[in-house]
Amino acid sequence: MIKFESVYLKRNDKQIFSDLNLVIKKNEKVLIQGRSGIGKTTLFKILLGFETIEKGSVTFNGKDIDKEHVKEIRHQIFYLSQDIDLKNERVTFLLDELQEHNVLKNQDQAIFSRLMDLLDLKTVVLNQSVKDLSGGERQRIGLLIGFLMDRPVWLLDEPTSALDETLKRKITDYIVAQDKTIVIISHDDVWKKNSTIRIERW
Amino acid sequence: MMMSGKKTAPLELRGGDKLGAQDITVLSLASLLVFLIPVFYINRRLKLSINAVMVSSIIRMCIQLSFVGLYLEFLFKYNSPVLNMVYLLIMISIACQSILKASNLKVLTFFIPVFFSLLLPFAIILFFFNAVVVRIDNLFEAKYLIPIGGMLLGNCLRSIIIGLNSFYSGIQKEEKVYLYSLSLFCSRIQALKPYFKQSITASVTPTIASMATIGLVSLPGMMTGQILGGSIPLVAIKYQMAIMLSIFYTEYFSTILAVLFSLKVGFNELDVLNQNIFVSRR
Repeated sequence: MIKFESVYLKRNDKQIFSDLNLVIKKNEKVLIQGRSGIGKTTLFKILLGFETIEKGSVTFNGKDIDKEHVKEIRHQIFYLSQDIDLKNERVTFLLDELQEHNVLKNQDQAIFSRLMDLLDLKTVVLNQSVKDLSGGERQRIGLLIGFLMDRPVWLLDEPTSALDETLKRKITDYIVAQDKTIVIISHDDVWKKNSTIRIERW
Repeated sequence: MMMSGKKTAPLELRGGDKLGAQDITVLSLASLLVFLIPVFYINRRLKLSINAVMVSSIIRMCIQLSFVGLYLEFLFKYNSPVLNMVYLLIMISIACQSILKASNLKVLTFFIPVFFSLLLPFAIILFFFNAVVVRIDNLFEAKYLIPIGGMLLGNCLRSIIIGLNSFYSGIQKEEKVYLYSLSLFCSRIQALKPYFKQSITASVTPTIASMATIGLVSLPGMMTGQILGGSIPLVAIKYQMAIMLSIFYTEYFSTILAVLFSLKVGFNELDVLNQNIFVSRR
């Protein structure tokens, strides 16, 4: 599904990747661990076409991440960035906008309520602006959007960093049980308890 | 009202008379410099260090306007369509360059898109103005083409600077948010929309505001000039309305085009903002 072959990347004269090789199979769950600054987030950015590599090859479903395929590839990825960089609008506005553009595959009201429950989100949150949300609320809204989009590949950058222990367990269980290809960057030990997760240590 | 003076009063009354404004001798023009004496005095007492800048600006104004006077005289004398067009194209090129300099964008990269984004609305509105509104026989008549063109360009300059600046610095500042939108919508247009809307609003707001207050505080320069030149106020007012609308349209469309045309050089083929488009500020 995702293949990095002897990838080299330099940014601001700093070598981020030299000869990186990584293969992620369909529906595999991979946890990437390593000290900060080592390029974990950059890995996601390459897949989304936000960062271009210097040497080597990166393929997504056998396709290069280039002008021709980038749109199609982005359509298959749900990316949860570390700071959940949503536009500063009311949450309902964001959801409506995504719905208008057919980004949300799960349109069922029952699914929506179930996900709100799972994420322990109250409906008042929906009327708030993104900048007024707490870190934890923003993280859960980000996840909600991803769950509703229902795309086949999930790239999650520290998805549980701002959640409390109970919620962490609930949500990680939900994520790991999905029939999706999921790559997680996390310092949280909660992921390791799950035996289906392959751990990549950098 | 800004304009006054007894010299103009009889001219206004004469209406359509082609007499024009009374000439000023160089000496009487220079007499205005008398008021610099109290200015210098006050600057000195208050220890304001603006004397050097002030004097150099006044000298520059005099030199630049003298040159304009000379070549306008030349253009008006020959009144050749080709010459007039060449003059306008040069003006557009200069405008382009100052737009990009003021927006901190690389001139070489952006020159062509911005040039055409100025040229298209400018040419359409200008010829509409001359052909449909004023209905002059010779569309290339220097007397209309040059001053009206100059007014349109001068105003567009400001609005495109505001527009491009707001667009590119907005995305640069919020790059993560832009990229995140891109990852959700997978459409560059959709991800760029907020910045696009913001830049158009910012660029035309000053003109919209000035349309609302025009005539209340000051008489616009063009009207003043026409009245001094011998037009009756009613004619001058109609021209002023026509030019205000034309300025607004030209600004509006050229700002939109400037942003749209520049996308190709502003972003790479994977829709990410090119970092090398900005002139580095030191």
